[in-house]
Amino acid sequence: MISVGIDAGSATTKAVLVKGDRSIIHTIRPTAFDFISAAEMAYKDVLDHAGVDKKAVDHVYSTGYGRNSIKFADKAISEITAHALGVYHLYPDVNGIIDIGGQDCKVISVNNGKVIDFLMNDKCAAGTGKFLEYTARALEVPIEELGELALDSKTPAGITSMCTVFAESEVISLRARGFTKEDIAAGLIENIAKRVAVMARQIGLKQNVAFVGGVAKNAGIKVALEKELGVSFCVPSEPQITGALGAALYSIR
Amino acid sequence: MHCFESLDHLKNSYNTRISQIVDEKKAGKKLVGTFCLFVPDEIIFAAGADRIILCGGKNDTVSIAEQYLPRNICPLIKSSFGSIVNNGCSGVKSCSHYGMVDLIVAENTCDSKKKMYELLGDYVPTYVIDLPQRPDSPEALNYFLGEIYKFKGVMEQLTGNKITVEQLKMEIKSSNETRQLLHRFYELRKIDPPPIRGVDVLKLLQKQYFLSTEELKASLRMLINEVEKIKPDGTHKPRIMISGCPMSSGNTKVPEIIESRGGVIVAEESCTGTRSFWDLVDENKDPMLALAERYIKIPCSCMSPNDRRIENILELAREFEVDGVVYYTLQFCHGYNIEKYKVQQALRKAGIPMLFIETDYSNSDIEQIGLRVDAFLEMLS
Ligand code: SF4
Ligand code: SF4
Repeated sequence: MISVGIDAGSATTKAVLVKGDRSIIHTIRPTAFDFISAAEMAYKDVLDHAGVDKKAVDHVYSTGYGRNSIKFADKAISEITAHALGVYHLYPDVNGIIDIGGQDCKVISVNNGKVIDFLMNDKCAAGTGKFLEYTARALEVPIEELGELALDSKTPAGITSMCTVFAESEVISLRARGFTKEDIAAGLIENIAKRVAVMARQIGLKQNVAFVGGVAKNAGIKVALEKELGVSFCVPSEPQITGALGAALYSIR
Repeated sequence: MHCFESLDHLKNSYNTRISQIVDEKKAGKKLVGTFCLFVPDEIIFAAGADRIILCGGKNDTVSIAEQYLPRNICPLIKSSFGSIVNNGCSGVKSCSHYGMVDLIVAENTCDSKKKMYELLGDYVPTYVIDLPQRPDSPEALNYFLGEIYKFKGVMEQLTGNKITVEQLKMEIKSSNETRQLLHRFYELRKIDPPPIRGVDVLKLLQKQYFLSTEELKASLRMLINEVEKIKPDGTHKPRIMISGCPMSSGNTKVPEIIESRGGVIVAEESCTGTRSFWDLVDENKDPMLALAERYIKIPCSCMSPNDRRIENILELAREFEVDGVVYYTLQFCHGYNIEKYKVQQALRKAGIPMLFIETDYSNSDIEQIGLRVDAFLEMLS
C-alpha cells in the first residue's frame, strides 16, 4: 500500500509518501501564491524521490489550510486529526501535542493517536511564527538565529505586548534604551512561550508532549517553552511534516 | 435532506407580517418591541397590543452603532441599536419593523444591554423592567412580581385597555399551547438521524417572537405534520447541541458551518432554542404570580448563581443523545463567555466533548471556524 499525505500550509507545503507503514519520503517547499500548484509540485517531488509511479499510489489525503482546494486528493482531513496521527506514529506514548506554525498555534490532547480535546489560535499572530518573524525583523536578526541568540541571555527583557504590532514597537524602544539583542530576543521568546503555555495548561498538557511545526526547529523556543511548562518535549527530526505524515497514514489506519 | 413546504411558506412571512402590522396600527393597535425572553408576552397581548422582537442578527448595521457605542460590546447589541438609530446616511437600510414600534420594553439583563437602553430612549420611547439577578431567593420573586405589575400598568396606559384576570389567563393558555407545540416538535428531533436540519429549525425559532402567535402556531402545526410523515433516511451523523448566546434572525453562520461539514444539530440550549419554551406557566395559580415564577427562572447568564443552566445543559444532552456540544458565544458577551468554564467542567465530568466557538456577525472567520468544526466532527466519529 502506498499513500501520500499533503499538508497545504499557508507558508509551506509538505508532502509525505508512506510505503506500507515503514519507509517515509518527504518534501517541503514554499507555498508561495498558489496552493494548488505547490501541492502538485510537492506531490511530484515525493513520487520522484521514491521512484514511484503516480498510478501505483493507492490514496492521497490532504490537510492544512488549503486542504479543500486540492482536488486530486481522495479526502481532506483537518490538521488537528492529521497531527495527532502523525505524532502517534513517531511517538505512540505521547498524550499532548504543541504545534506552532507560521500562522497559527495548536495544542492537542491525544490518547493513542485519537484527539481528546484541542485549542487553537489562528485569529491573531500572538504565539505564532508570525510574531517571531515580525519582531525578529524589528531586531534586525534573521529569524533562524533568534533562538540561538536568546540562549545567550541571562536577563531577558520583559516584553508584555501580546499583539505583534505593539511588540514590534516595544522592541524598537527597548533597543533605544540600550538593551542587548540577546536580552530582547530572549524576551520575545519568553513572551511567545507564555502565550502558548496558557493554552497548553487550559487543556491540561502535562507530560509526554511532542513539539512540532516550523517553530519547533527553533532551539531557543523549545527551551523556553519547556521551562515555562516544566516538561521536556519530544521533537521529531523533521517537525514540519507530522501533519502530512498523519494525512498519509489516515488511509492506512 | 428533506425540503418542507411549511418552511417555504415562511419565506414570505416577513412581508405578510409587516402588512399585518400596518393594518393593526391603522386600527389603533399598539406595537411593542422587545429584546429578551424575560419580557412576558402574555401581558402585552392581554393589553391588546402586538409584539415584535428587535434583536438583530445582521452585520450591516453594526458599523452604524459603532458611531455611538464602543467597539467592544456584543454584535447583537450593536446590530440592533444600529438598526434603530439608522437614518439611512450610510446607505444601509434597516428592516422596516424597526421603525414601527410604539414602545420598546427592555429589561435589565447584561451590562451592555442595560447601558444601551439608556441611549435608546432618545430615539424610541423605552420602558425598562428591572430584574433581580439572584433568582432563587423569595425576595427576588416578590421584587420581580412588583416589576411585572408595574409593567402591566405601563401596558394599560399605552393601550388604554384594562388588563383583566380572564384575559391574562387566556393569553397564558395560548402561550402554553405554543410551548407545547414546540415540545412536540423537538421530540421529533430525538430520532436518529433527525428528520429535520438544525438550520431549518433555527430559522423557524428566530421567527418565534416576530410572527403573530396565530401564524407561529399554524406554521408549527403544519411543520409537525410534515415532519411526522417523513421517514428519515441515511446514517448516523454526529449529533450536536448548541449552547450559549442567542442567534438572532440573520445569523445562522455557525449552524450552517456545522451542518455543511457533516454534523447535525439536534437541540439548542439558547434563547433561540429551548430556553424560550422549555418551562410552561402554571395555569392554576394567580396569573401574575405564575408569570413571575416562570419568567424569573429563565437560566440566562446574567443570573447568579446560574447552576440551573448547567443542570439543564446536562439534561438536554442526555435527552437528545448528543455526541458533542458546541458552546457558542458572541464576542464580548462576558456572561456566556465566562460561564463557558463551568459548562466545560460539567461536560467533561459527564464525558461529553465540547467545542468552544466565539465569533461575531462578520464572515471573516468562516474558514477558521470550519477547521475547528472539521476537527471536532472527526474527533466525534
Ligand atoms: S440571553 Fe439573556 S439577555 Fe439575552 S435574550 Fe436570553 S434571557 Fe435575554
Ligand atoms: S449576547 Fe450576551 S452581551 Fe449580547 S445582549 Fe445577550 S447577554 Fe448581552
